[in-house]
Amino acid sequence: MKNRHSQYPDISDILAHKAAGRRQRAALSFAEKLVILDALKERVGPIVQAREFRRRQKLKSMSPRG
Amino acid sequence: MSLRKTIEVVTKLAEQGAIQRYAIAGAVAALNYIEPTLTEDLDILVSVAHFERRQSGLILLTPIEKALANMGYTERSDVGYMIEGWPVQFLPVASALDEEALEKATELDVDLAGNPPLKARCLRAEHIVAIAVQLGRLKDLARVQAFLDQDVLDLIAVEDILERHALLEAWRSFCTKAGIENPLAAS
Repeated sequence: MKNRHSQYPDISDILAHKAAGRRQRAALSFAEKLVILDALKERVGPIVQAREFRRRQKLKSMSPRG
Repeated sequence: MSLRKTIEVVTKLAEQGAIQRYAIAGAVAALNYIEPTLTEDLDILVSVAHFERRQSGLILLTPIEKALANMGYTERSDVGYMIEGWPVQFLPVASALDEEALEKATELDVDLAGNPPLKARCLRAEHIVAIAVQLGRLKDLARVQAFLDQDVLDLIAVEDILERHALLEAWRSFCTKAGIENPLAAS
């Protein structure tokens, strides 16, 4: 069993680094952000397609005709 | 596939008169103010004055469909019209808040390097936040949190909008859910 007084690492520098990254990305131009969004969409494309496929399969299996 | 081109097509619809007043809304509008987050579609808020309205209240977006077809965009998906690889949803103004947001939308430089430079209308940060509070889904509240974290809001303007549209209670509920002190109280 873990001691209630266990020492955990200080992650405030990691959190501060992440916040700085968010601020940096927020400060990009709209055009630069659009390019990022295009890339994100392409990257998750296969996941979205798989989700759509599962959704269609589920609907098909629920329909009265099978 | 390019969101820039998608927005360019929307501006062409406005030039041709297929849509009158419009503004980029939703996650892509938020992009103008905060860090990029994934979205699957582009929301365009449009005025409904010149659209045919059925007795049932249904609004027909036929002029948009026709203009898109003339430009070669005939594909539709569950989430909207497919334009340059992005589903686009045209959302007719559905509340006084939407109407005000559309009225006060700002002109955005999408791409100044283009020839001619591409400009489009986009909702203001304070209206995006008010609409998100009104919708109240978890993803909307997360967006409000991002706007607050990234300190891009005029809090006095936010309070004014929320008050005029009877959304202060919904705002306080958001603060409770987010576990934050009400930042408007300090403004």
